[in-house]
Amino acid sequence: MSREIQSPVTGTVWKIEVAVGGQADAGDDLIIVESMKMEIPVVTDSECVVKEIRCSEGDAVTEGQVLLVVDP
Amino acid sequence: MSRKKSTPAPDEGPRPDLTRVLEAKAKTLDENRPEALAKRAATGHQTIRQNITQLIDPDSFQEYGQLAEPAYQKLNGPADGLVMGTGMVSGARVGFMGYDYTVHAGTQSIINHAKADRFLHLVESLRLPLVLWADGGGWRPYENNINSRDYEETFAMMAQLSGLVPTVGVVSGRCFAGNANLAGLCDTLIATRKAALGMGGPPLVEAALGITLTPEELGPAEMHEACGAVDVLVDDEREAIDCVRRYLSFFLGPGRSSDEAPDTAALRRLVPENPRRAYDVRKVIEGIADLDSVLELRPRFARAAVTALAKVQGVPVGVLANQPMHQAGAIDSPTSDKLARFIQLCDAHDIPMLYLCDTPGLMVGPEVEATALVRHSSRILNAAVNATTPFMTVILRKAYGLGQYMMGALPLKPALLVGWPTAEFGAMGFEGAVKITHKAELEAIPDKKARLERERELADGLRAHNTALGLAGRYELDDVIDPADTREVVIRFLGSLPPVPPRTGRKRTIDNW
Repeated sequence: MSREIQSPVTGTVWKIEVAVGGQADAGDDLIIVESMKMEIPVVTDSECVVKEIRCSEGDAVTEGQVLLVVDP
Repeated sequence: MSRKKSTPAPDEGPRPDLTRVLEAKAKTLDENRPEALAKRAATGHQTIRQNITQLIDPDSFQEYGQLAEPAYQKLNGPADGLVMGTGMVSGARVGFMGYDYTVHAGTQSIINHAKADRFLHLVESLRLPLVLWADGGGWRPYENNINSRDYEETFAMMAQLSGLVPTVGVVSGRCFAGNANLAGLCDTLIATRKAALGMGGPPLVEAALGITLTPEELGPAEMHEACGAVDVLVDDEREAIDCVRRYLSFFLGPGRSSDEAPDTAALRRLVPENPRRAYDVRKVIEGIADLDSVLELRPRFARAAVTALAKVQGVPVGVLANQPMHQAGAIDSPTSDKLARFIQLCDAHDIPMLYLCDTPGLMVGPEVEATALVRHSSRILNAAVNATTPFMTVILRKAYGLGQYMMGALPLKPALLVGWPTAEFGAMGFEGAVKITHKAELEAIPDKKARLERERELADGLRAHNTALGLAGRYELDDVIDPADTREVVIRFLGSLPPVPPRTGRKRTIDNW
C-alpha cells in the first residue's frame, strides 16, 4: 500500500533528497521545504521506496499538499 | 435489681421518616434510573455520576442539593439536573459541579441556577479548585412560564473565580448557550472527540440564519481544538478524567509526581548544526521535564509556539517555547495570544515559568499586520512584565529582534538567563540584515539560486560574530550550558526560588482568550 507524504508547512521546495525508485530508511529526509528561511525536513517514519515525486525544487507548496508517494 | 443496659437496641431498620429520605435519594442514582442510563449508553457516553465516581476519591464526595427538584412541578428531574459537591481528587480538595445530560439535556433551570450560585459562592469562600462538567443545552425553556427573569448569578460568579482558584472545564457531549458560557469561563477546557460546543445552538442558528445544522456540524470538537477554544482534546470521558487529575496536580505545589528523569543526553543532538534546519521543540521539553509529566495546552492552535505544564523533580513549571517546525517559530497574532494567556495562567497560580527561545522574531507581512499584530504581540509583554512569578530563559538557538525580547529576554528580568552553544543573537535576522546592507551586491547576481547562496554566506559571516560565547563575553547571558545539563540547571533555578507566600486574595485575572 502506498502512502502520500504531505508538506507540513506552506513554503518552497528547497531540496529533493531522493529519486523515484530510491530507497529511504526511517527518519531519512526525503524533501526539504523552506519556509520563513527555515529548512523543514520532510521525513519518513518507516523504510520505504519512492514511487512518485509530485513537486520540483523551487515549487511553492502549501501545508498539506502531497509532495511524494512512497511504498509501502 | 436489674439495671438498664445502655447498649443500642438491635437494628430494626430505618423508621419511616428516614426511609422516605433514603428512597428520595435513591431515586436520583443511576441504578434506579435504567432508562436514563440506557439513553446515555446508547450515545456512547457515561453519566455524570459515573464521571464523579471515576474522578473523585472513594467516600469523599459530599453532595449538595441531591434532593432538589425542578421548579416546574410537572417535570421529573433528579437533583434538578446538576450534581455538585466537595470531594478529594488524588487526596486534594476540589469542588465539582456537573450538569446531568439525562435530565432535560443538562439544561439550566431556576432551581439548578440557585444550586450553582450557592456552590460557586462556596468554592470562592473555601478557595476550592473547581472542576466543571459543562454538557447541556443552556436555559430550560419549559420553565419560562414560571419565571423568566435573569436573576441568577451563576455566570457572574464563574467569572469572579478567574485567577482566584484554578478552574477546569470538561465537555463530553453537546454543550451550548449558558452551558458553553460556563465552559468558556474556565481557565482550561478539556473536550472529548464527541463534544459539540457553541454559544448559539442549532435552533437559534436555524431561526436567525435559516441554516439547519446538527450540533456536531455547528461546533465540532476538532474545530475548537484548531481555533484554540479547547485546550486539550481527548478521546473519551475516561481520558478526560485522567486529564483533569493531571491538570489539577499542577496547582497543588511540589511533590506530586514520580520525578523520573528523562534521557537528557539526547538534548545535545536536538538542535541541528545547520542553523536553518527545523526541529521539534517538544523533544527539548521532554528532555527537561519528568518522564510523562508534560501536558501541552492548545497543541493544534497557534503552532509556532508550544505552551505546556510540566514537572521538574516534581515541581510544577509552565513551559513556553517557540516551535521552529511552524513558521520557523515566528510569532504571529494567535501565537501572541496563546503565550500571553499562558503567562497569566501560570502567574495567577504562582507556577514558575521556563522560556525556551528559538525565534526569528515576529512574523512579517501585510497579512499578519492585518490581524492587529501590533496589538496582539503587545499582550505578551504586558502579561510577562506585569507577572510576579519568577521565570528563567534558555536561548536554544535564534534570539532575534522583538520576538526574542518577548521570549524572556534580560529586560524582562529572568531569574536566570542561559544559552545553549547554538544560541545566536541579533536585533534582526542576519538574512534580513544582509539583504539591506548588501543590497547592491546581491541584486547584481542574476541567478536566483546563486544570489540566495551569497546571501546565506554573508549571513553566516554575521552569525559567527554573535555566538553564545560572544554573548557570554559581553555578559548578556548568565551562562552557556551543555544542553544535556538543562534539566539540572532548571532544578537549580527552582531551588533558588523563595517559598510562595500564602495568598488569600486574587493576584490577577486570567484572560479567557
